[in-house]
Amino acid sequence: MKKYLVTAQLSALEKTNGGIVYLLPNILIKVCTLVPLLYLWRVVMSAGAHVGMTLEQMLSYTYLSALLSNMLVVETAASGWLSEGVILQLYGRPLSVIGQLVAQTVGGWAPYLLLFSLPLALLAPLLGVHLVPASPWFFVSLLLCIMLGFAIDALFACLSIRLRNMNWLINRLRLAVATVFSGTVIPIKLLPYGMAEVMKYQPFASLGGAPLSVFIGTADLTEIISIQVLWNLILWPTALLIWNRSQERMVSYGG
Amino acid sequence: MADRITLKRIIKLLAISAKLDLTWLLRDAKLALLAIGGDIVNNVAIASGVFLIAARFGGIGDMSADEVLFMLAYSTMITGIFALFGSGNNIHISRIIGRGQLEHLFIQPLPLFTQLVTSGFAPFTGGGNLIVGICLMVIAGKRLDLHITPWWILSLITYLLTTLVTIIARSYFAASAAFYAPVAAEEISSVAIDETWFLSTFPLGGMPQAIQIPLLTILPEGLMAWYPSLCLLGKSPLHLTAYYPMLYALLIALAARAVFRKGLRYYVTRGSNRYVPYGFRR
Repeated sequence: MKKYLVTAQLSALEKTNGGIVYLLPNILIKVCTLVPLLYLWRVVMSAGAHVGMTLEQMLSYTYLSALLSNMLVVETAASGWLSEGVILQLYGRPLSVIGQLVAQTVGGWAPYLLLFSLPLALLAPLLGVHLVPASPWFFVSLLLCIMLGFAIDALFACLSIRLRNMNWLINRLRLAVATVFSGTVIPIKLLPYGMAEVMKYQPFASLGGAPLSVFIGTADLTEIISIQVLWNLILWPTALLIWNRSQERMVSYGG
Repeated sequence: MADRITLKRIIKLLAISAKLDLTWLLRDAKLALLAIGGDIVNNVAIASGVFLIAARFGGIGDMSADEVLFMLAYSTMITGIFALFGSGNNIHISRIIGRGQLEHLFIQPLPLFTQLVTSGFAPFTGGGNLIVGICLMVIAGKRLDLHITPWWILSLITYLLTTLVTIIARSYFAASAAFYAPVAAEEISSVAIDETWFLSTFPLGGMPQAIQIPLLTILPEGLMAWYPSLCLLGKSPLHLTAYYPMLYALLIALAARAVFRKGLRYYVTRGSNRYVPYGFRR
């Protein structure tokens, strides 16, 4: 376990190797997207449509989604490392490859949590955002979301192997998933044309949308946690099986 | 000695880029179609996010759902034109600078500007989003019962070009940092272009001016789709002139030109510490 912790620590340090100043553009863009998004929801919700959520809940949902964005739709470096050849290095170490990817990813969250999420969490009351979970089950749901995120990411990496390292395409697909199907931008519950009823059962809805709806108290806890557990039970063995088979097809070059 | 640059020469250079694009497509059509499809799905997904909200709530602020669709069609057309002419990192220019690949351009018998203008042309793999955008615009136009005249089409083309100038100028402005910090700023054009794109799909109507004005000046996301769309619908926002996007594009292009040239002068005297003789980066 200590080896994984050291990997995570190295990953966190690596993010700041060029100096904290080079993290600022990304952080600034996140803030500049979040603030108008909060106002967008204020404008939309003030139209008075009944959607089963209050404005306060919507703002908390959006705010928390931005604060925990890295965890809500997990993205490891696997797809990029496949095309750059870096992934081969992981096979030369006496650690599980997936374990290293997990540790490296979790470590990479630390600078953003410290430099972006924590300050914004402290500023939340000033922006009229309430950041207290409606249920302690939020933490369970978040953990299930992160676990499922790693399984889905492993499947995307396998897809990348199948598509001969087209990590650019994989990233585009992943972004599309995050935007529409995960519920991190628009709560699944708000989707029009009856899509909400169907979409809540697809696996991506068990990513960010699930813990966020538990956090604001609009979720049916038993249903949502059960769906998350079910998708974890289905997708983790599938991801491991496909990963093991895909390793034989792995082609890396570059450096 | 550099070739003489004529319109005919530029068309020939564009044809070379188009041929390379077609070669890439034919190398493995299955993968190429997947890539094109993935790109279209992604851009439609980004655009549809805001449309789904508008559809659910019957509009956003002072825009109806159909007007929001029109705005998103404009946004998709922009991404389409971007992909059509910017597929060679020629707009994500910080990658070329940061990786020390400007050296590759210096040894070609063509001016740098000409190479950058023509090298990203990808009509076969980059045209999908433009077609989707045009289709969405036709649908939105019909639903809004727009009266389309040659003058309106000319206005649309002018606004599209203006938006592109703003995007390119901002990218080149930011990318100038890569002349001085090639590793740290290698992806700064992506931050300037891609990371802000979702924000550019927001209708800003109904938001306080404290939000609107920065998004029309410091971070001009309001000029990427919202402002030009409203002008094309005959509803110039904030009582500003319909020519404001053109003025902004001109100013940011001039600023980018000055900053980029300064950076380039620094680069040609110092070189790149990432360049290695076989062309790969450290």
